[in-house]
Amino acid sequence: MAKAFAITVSTSSGAPLYRQIIDQVRARVAGGHLAAGEFLPSVRQLAEHLQINPMTVSKAYSLLEREGVIEFVRGQGMRVNPPGPAANGKARRAAIFPLLKQAAATARQLSLTPEQVIADLKSILENDDEHA
Amino acid sequence: MSTPEPVMRVTNLIKQFKQKAVLRGLNLEVSRGSVLGLLGKNGAGKTTLIECALGLLRPDSGETWLLGEPAWTLSAAAKARLGYVPQEISLYPWMKTGQLLEYTASFYPRWNDALVKQFLRDWELDGDAKIGKMSVGTRQKLAIILALAHEPELVVLDEPAASLDPAARREFLKTVLAVTAEGNRTVLFSTHITSDLERVADHVAILSMGKIVFHGELDALKDSVKRLHIAAPSPLEKTFTVPGAVHVRVDGTEALVSVRDASPQVLETIRQQYSASVKVEDLNLEDIFLEMQYEAPQ
Repeated sequence: MAKAFAITVSTSSGAPLYRQIIDQVRARVAGGHLAAGEFLPSVRQLAEHLQINPMTVSKAYSLLEREGVIEFVRGQGMRVNPPGPAANGKARRAAIFPLLKQAAATARQLSLTPEQVIADLKSILENDDEHA
Repeated sequence: MSTPEPVMRVTNLIKQFKQKAVLRGLNLEVSRGSVLGLLGKNGAGKTTLIECALGLLRPDSGETWLLGEPAWTLSAAAKARLGYVPQEISLYPWMKTGQLLEYTASFYPRWNDALVKQFLRDWELDGDAKIGKMSVGTRQKLAIILALAHEPELVVLDEPAASLDPAARREFLKTVLAVTAEGNRTVLFSTHITSDLERVADHVAILSMGKIVFHGELDALKDSVKRLHIAAPSPLEKTFTVPGAVHVRVDGTEALVSVRDASPQVLETIRQQYSASVKVEDLNLEDIFLEMQYEAPQ
């Protein structure tokens, strides 16, 4: 449970608070930081921790439940579901998608061709140390 | 299910001071159980709106209903269901904290002593402290306790956090959150501090140029208003605009457009029509608030 408290929200971000929570839970589950079977903090606990309206946390949880990321267990709270292999890959790709979109927009402004950008990205991915 | 009667309803409210029109036909409904943040620049008329809505200030025209009654002739019973912290707090300076609490309690049929004690402890207020010698922040805390002790259905706070230091503001936000967590209570608070509002409120109303330019769910507002960065190969016309635009700035081949509900189709049309690149930027509440100042009220 303590790990889920690593969730943070920022009011200076453009994303609504509930979406910030959803994104972070999703990323933590996809990345294996929140294991299947673990419980999220209760709505009240997380709202108090983040100092935000409990309705916001409750909204995030119910959307995550609808997505199948977590499941409500009577009397115990929200439990992390085991990610299916397909869902897992999909979730991880969904997590990086906004960054790729941003890179694509910048590339367009700089009039770079897709081939150039893909080549650079590939080289970054393959030679992590050199570019780090 | 029928829509329940709003806790507060303001219709076509007009208020003018000398030659200065402050509220120009303003409409606002506050539904039961909502936590509404009223956002407006200094001098936008937030306090005037609150005072008219509570029946403390007589509007030039328009209707104000509160808890099912006309606000101007509000009954004592309705007043007992209302908690209000004005922006400028005037408490009896010669009284001590404890005396003022006792005195105020005597007016109300209902008074939660345990809650008062809890607040005094949490906020480290001394029952023997003289009000005249208190700092502005401490006086504000006391005013908040006085407004909540009778467990009102509707709590109205006018710039509640304005004179609190950051630590006290955090503490205060915690309290508002605790206060709002209680089921059916409705909270209306005015502020120009967007970060406070975002943590606490579920609805937001933006007051600009005498009217409410937006009223709705906070999340919906953030999801709907975006800023487009448009870069075209050739100069854009001065009259360049986009459907749903709130504020347009054109500078040569580039344009910065804040827009409501821009669909992917709208973005695609701009890309094709001007062979432009379009980047969509999420805006935080403060940015949105500033952009909305440019929107002409309907």
